[in-house]
Amino acid sequence: MNLIIEYQAQLLSGTWVTIRLALMSLVIAVMFGLLGAWAKLSKNFVAQKTAAAYTTIVRGVPDLVLILLVFYGGQQMVNSFGGMTGLWDYVEISQFAAGAGTIGVVFGGYMTETFRGAIIAIPRGQIEAGVACGMDRFTIFHRVIWPQMVRYALPGFSNNWLVQIKSTALVSVIGLQDVVYNGFVAGRSTRQLFTFMFAVLMIYLVLTAISDLGLRWLDRKYSKGVVRTDHG
Amino acid sequence: MKFTKIKTACAAIALMFGLAGNSALAADLRVGVEGAYPPFSWKEADGTLKGFDIEIAEAVCKELERKCVLIEQDWDGMIPALKARKFDTIIASMSITEERKKQIDFSDKYYNTPAKFVAKKGSGLEISKVGLKGKRIGLQRGTTHQCFMEKIYPDAELVLYGTQEEVFQDLAIGRIDAQFSDSIAADDGFLKTDAGKDFEFTGGDQHDEACHGPGAGMAVRKSDTELRDDLNRAIKAMRADGTYQKINAKYFEFDIFGG
Repeated sequence: MNLIIEYQAQLLSGTWVTIRLALMSLVIAVMFGLLGAWAKLSKNFVAQKTAAAYTTIVRGVPDLVLILLVFYGGQQMVNSFGGMTGLWDYVEISQFAAGAGTIGVVFGGYMTETFRGAIIAIPRGQIEAGVACGMDRFTIFHRVIWPQMVRYALPGFSNNWLVQIKSTALVSVIGLQDVVYNGFVAGRSTRQLFTFMFAVLMIYLVLTAISDLGLRWLDRKYSKGVVRTDHG
Repeated sequence: MKFTKIKTACAAIALMFGLAGNSALAADLRVGVEGAYPPFSWKEADGTLKGFDIEIAEAVCKELERKCVLIEQDWDGMIPALKARKFDTIIASMSITEERKKQIDFSDKYYNTPAKFVAKKGSGLEISKVGLKGKRIGLQRGTTHQCFMEKIYPDAELVLYGTQEEVFQDLAIGRIDAQFSDSIAADDGFLKTDAGKDFEFTGGDQHDEACHGPGAGMAVRKSDTELRDDLNRAIKAMRADGTYQKINAKYFEFDIFGG
């Protein structure tokens, strides 16, 4: 316990990196998810196929492999291109950008499917009714699709988000000093690995518990006026 | 140091003509270190890096009259990061092996600690082909030590673990008859701790050139022959002027440079 207090600055700075990374990659994932869902449901052939390729690839390849590929392979590629063309000598891909970008794009693939499912779940007739009432496309999205899509998407979204928070741990491989990296280094340095792994475990539990509260609040907000019949 | 001045001048001229500067001419030496392998490198509570490797790195920079920038890197990403030019050299107790030499280049060794067996005090374990036959020997997989055991004592039953900590744990519980590892790692990580008080080194130093290689070296990219030569020069100079011995004495009771 004393050791954890001694190393608390390390653990806290790591936790802060984890939180920033999770939020940043969430923003990217939601953007890619909405874009992907739109593309998959659009009548445009190219958009459909692009989105299909995107979700197949990012959901089919381990996140860790992609992170390593982007961070090391990407940098090697960028630099050998610079060296070949003589445009630049050395460019550094930041660990945070590589980590947040990769995790965001990967989870964008899962979000795509979650959002697509939620949109499909909205009865077609409601959208037709909107058209009949003379709503434009933005109004239909804003007043009819979005509020219901959020409700239908929330359970899947919550799952994705919880997995995503934990996936941020993968970035410790590329040397980004998140809570796992700092916990591991402190554990090895003091030869008290289990003490620090336990502390890291508790930190993740706190983060996911807080997320859970927020998600439940969202669920209540978007379920207003909906009567639950599934559990009597 | 006239030569350095000429090199700097050349670099300046090259830059003036818009040519890309060679990274070996840069003033800063970026060193990849681990920070999770005491007593060679570890991290203090305030975040500063300490240890034998760290002090050696700083001494090398001083010798080469270049500013040291220590870059912390997880062990698994060490070689990829070097190749991606995140830093110029690795000083992190990396053993020089043929396998690694396919990807990167090494300086001469800067230390070479012997490998040893550890068993329970008074176990009477005899370190020989006959004595180890059928005995359960624990070790970390994928290491130079696995290569050694498979080659020299093929009749021993090997129990392989992911990390050295797990090996020590199972030895303390009694699931294995002995463990085989680097002697410093065993001494600092186990024998000097409470869990290891009933255990001891047994059978003396073990070494096989083909498996263990010449020791730990500083890694550089294959194209960086100039830096490799600089590092070799720095290691020799540190050995000659006593800098190395001074650092060595802070951490170890014997000279770990090896014969």
